[in-house]
Amino acid sequence: MSLSQQQVAQAREQAQRVPRMKGTLRWRNELVGFGFVLPFLIAYALFLLWPVLLGLRMSLYNWNLAGGGTSAFLGLGNYQELFADANFWSALWHTILFTVLSTPFLVILALALALLINRTIPAKWLFRLAFFAPFVLPVTVVVLIWQWLFTPGFGLINSTLTAIGLPTVNWLTDPHVAMISVVVVTIWWTVGVNFLLYLAGLQQIPQDMYEAAAIDGAGAWSQILRITIPLLGRITTLIVILQVIASLQVFSQIYLLTTGGPDFVTRPVIQYIYETGFSSYRVGFASAASYVLFVLILVVTAGQFTLLQRQQRRGA
Amino acid sequence: MATQSIERVVHARETTATDQMKRKFTNSGIFAILLVLTILWLTPLAWALDTALKPESETTIFPLTWLSSHFTLQAFASTLSTSDLPRWYFNSILTSVVISLVTVVLASMAAYAFSRIPFRGRGVLFWIILAGIMIPGQVLIVPLFALMQSFGFVDTYQGIILPQIASPFAVFIFKQFFDGIPRDYDEAALMDGASRLRVYWQVLIPLARPAVATVAILTFVAAWNNFIWPFIVITDTKMMTIPVGLATVQTSYGIRYAQIMASALLGGLPAVIIFLFFQRQIVEGLAGGLKE
Amino acid sequence: MDCEDILCRTSLEQRISRRKFLCNTALIAAGGLAAASCAAYPTSGATSTVPITYWNLFGGGDGVRMIQMQNDFVRSHPDIKLNAVTLAWGAPYYTKLAMSASGGRPPDVGISHITRMPAYAELGFLEPFDLDMLAKAGITPDNFLPEVWQRGQYKGKLYALPLDTHPFVTYYNIDICKKAGLLGPDGDLKLIQGPTALIDALKQVKQVTRNWGLANIGPWRLFSGLYGQLGGKILSPDAKELVLDNTKAEQALSFMADLILKSKVAFPSTDYAAAIALFASQKIGFLWNGEWEVTTFQAVPNFHFNMVPFPNIFGGNQTEGDSHSFILPRQTYPDPVRRAATFTFMSFMLKDSFTWAQGGHIPAYVPVATSDAYKKLKPQSNYAGAAKDVVVDPPAWFSGSGSDFETLADAVFGAVVLGQLTPAKGIQQFRARVQRMLDTPSPTSAT
Repeated sequence: MSLSQQQVAQAREQAQRVPRMKGTLRWRNELVGFGFVLPFLIAYALFLLWPVLLGLRMSLYNWNLAGGGTSAFLGLGNYQELFADANFWSALWHTILFTVLSTPFLVILALALALLINRTIPAKWLFRLAFFAPFVLPVTVVVLIWQWLFTPGFGLINSTLTAIGLPTVNWLTDPHVAMISVVVVTIWWTVGVNFLLYLAGLQQIPQDMYEAAAIDGAGAWSQILRITIPLLGRITTLIVILQVIASLQVFSQIYLLTTGGPDFVTRPVIQYIYETGFSSYRVGFASAASYVLFVLILVVTAGQFTLLQRQQRRGA
Repeated sequence: MATQSIERVVHARETTATDQMKRKFTNSGIFAILLVLTILWLTPLAWALDTALKPESETTIFPLTWLSSHFTLQAFASTLSTSDLPRWYFNSILTSVVISLVTVVLASMAAYAFSRIPFRGRGVLFWIILAGIMIPGQVLIVPLFALMQSFGFVDTYQGIILPQIASPFAVFIFKQFFDGIPRDYDEAALMDGASRLRVYWQVLIPLARPAVATVAILTFVAAWNNFIWPFIVITDTKMMTIPVGLATVQTSYGIRYAQIMASALLGGLPAVIIFLFFQRQIVEGLAGGLKE
Repeated sequence: MDCEDILCRTSLEQRISRRKFLCNTALIAAGGLAAASCAAYPTSGATSTVPITYWNLFGGGDGVRMIQMQNDFVRSHPDIKLNAVTLAWGAPYYTKLAMSASGGRPPDVGISHITRMPAYAELGFLEPFDLDMLAKAGITPDNFLPEVWQRGQYKGKLYALPLDTHPFVTYYNIDICKKAGLLGPDGDLKLIQGPTALIDALKQVKQVTRNWGLANIGPWRLFSGLYGQLGGKILSPDAKELVLDNTKAEQALSFMADLILKSKVAFPSTDYAAAIALFASQKIGFLWNGEWEVTTFQAVPNFHFNMVPFPNIFGGNQTEGDSHSFILPRQTYPDPVRRAATFTFMSFMLKDSFTWAQGGHIPAYVPVATSDAYKKLKPQSNYAGAAKDVVVDPPAWFSGSGSDFETLADAVFGAVVLGQLTPAKGIQQFRARVQRMLDTPSPTSAT
């Protein structure tokens, strides 16, 4: 060791004395401690906390995009109009539909891939790369590529369908199919993250558990069901929570793929907020919608965290 | 009892032999499945690259073919020379680097204080910051825009950067990491007369290199790929980042698929390069986030 | 920690120096990267050129012509650096324009449909035109038709400088109409007036084509023209009241539905691309659409078509339309040099608008509209007279080209002409939805 035992012992003694020290040292700690936190705190308060409060204030007025309307107090008027607007409920429904459609795949497929890769097979790096690579691409790149794939006529997907004798599909312009196309793109783009998380989780499960089960005569499937999945319970809950929070805020890929169409059938809440706020100049109203979504997400998150706590208490 | 255990061992050895064969079989089967899935997963990118390398006229012929009479880099050249893509590269690099650096500094400084410096209100402050992890970012775009308007930061670099530098999650990661570093090094340096700032900068940060790397890289990639916020705060095409520029600016020449694919691939390239070089940090960082 | 052993072996100083090295390398790398990209971005060159930014929403054929005009400008004005940006037509363009203006650093000049201007002006996003400065650039009010100039006014000042008027017109297939006996001795279409005459003519065409006589694009546009011919108004001038005349509206809608459902002379769909394809492949004789597809049809080989104003069906020559115009977004940091260059630019574009007219639009700049070159331009100059009969969208913050108002009108009236709604029901729905828009607290009135 580069530091003598004596020096370390001295340091430890001094460290223990620090909290009980009075006078200038404690004041110095207060100042320095606060000073270290201050820059972050300023940025945090200004750009994370303040907008939350500002949004609430804006939602009570007929605030417009030009920054005017700050004196036209509407009280809960924006909220009343919001809850009476069928377009808002549709948008909410689309967001929930997207979440419900995509989350199971993003969890189960990720788990399946992780299970498959976690065997003794060569070239694991290639598979890990293939499934995770799309995640590092920006959404615009992903959408441009998939729009090209989805093109009617000479897009790769429809051409392949034609080649094998199946009818073509209007992936982005058929109202019955558009949301499915969005979900497919999302899965291709983001399953890699969950997949990696599961892979890390799998590698933490001690091998002896499997060996013991094998000795007891448990087959592969039974091992997966009885050992792997229960032990991955906490990770799964975490992944689901994160996935749901992210899905409720979906905007980019839907806006870029279908602009919320055709005929608004895929329009999510965030796009509704964007359009009422910026296309229709009504940022006060859009703030009200933002707040409702905010509360919804908090409620869902809180609910899921409670579930997580309960799981932890049960000792998963 | 001895016979029972011997029986068990013999039974185990027998099952092991057949199991090994079965396992080899299943593993080959799994390898095949994975290979097919991988090909499926990589096809979109491969097709995009194939299209980008074709001459424009061959991109819309039917039936489709992967081969072309003469592959060319024409589409890439056109994109780079006629569009604002180089300018968007600059904007993306500038904003992402600054965001990454500032995030690391702010978060690690705060985490250092939470981990090492006893001061009043430390616990409460930490929980207030942690609560921020629950705030969904996309939901704030409207009031955030109004805020940037009042500062005059719309269509500026600071407009892009400022909302992305305060990351409660990064504070959490750093604090976890710092908590795991023994205080001996701090105390030794403090006794030598170093200020807290020096201890932070010259003792803890070097020791926390994995955390710094992870946070820096993850923040960089997130900032690079961020679409919605730069999309909202930037309208000037010269100030756009790559994801926004690619999505917003239309070519007036009709649809040129090779060029579109070329621009898409060029737009995704930096992120892929970073991923290839820093795979380990990214993966470890994500996996490390699990350990809470 | 695993690394404890390694760290224990190195001294504090060694760690610091290694860290400094890494730090410096990283900084140099980042700096190099930034510098490289800096070099990739072409600098504006000579500092004596004045840069101006110009936004438009022209894609397709319009886009090609606009780029031609831009190139003409750049060639003749080497002292001005034009940065032209094209954004997607409709909501994406207008949303970005509004957000840009609200941020304080908008483009120097932009294109706007003249029907979208009032909302922008009321929100404070625009600046009025300095008429003296305009005169110095060679443009005066008498260079425009009074109706067109009037449309660019807001509260007595000029906020939109008209570039063109683009009306809803009639395209017809010369060969088919000849066979149907609809052409006069001069080879032009005989005048068709009134609903019965129109339906008869279309029936004759239908007999020739064995398909339909006509396709209509845009239920809203057709309705707007017909209703306008009946003298009806939709909103009060202050945009606070719905003054839709139910009888007249029903008359117009019934006629529209009749064409498809009763007389069966019109193509039963509202699909834009399909209608264009039908006309271009000579399966129908007539097409009602905006005039901007003239270049598309001129490119079809062996296709003889002509264009005339929308017919007088209900006692007037009114037809739906709008104007593209130049607007000046409000700058937080105004620059008189850039403003002067912007006026030079707009003036040039107006004088160069013969190129623009070739794409089908009626030039708003009278010297070009009355020039011999334009008069000889057929079929574009055939409908030049329609400019004064154009009916634009009712004035409201939620209306105008590409607005939600037009989308909803298209949806409701589309359902009526396809038989999914009766005209009476359609009007009920239309009224209800417009009333809801009127009841929404207006973002433009609250200041």
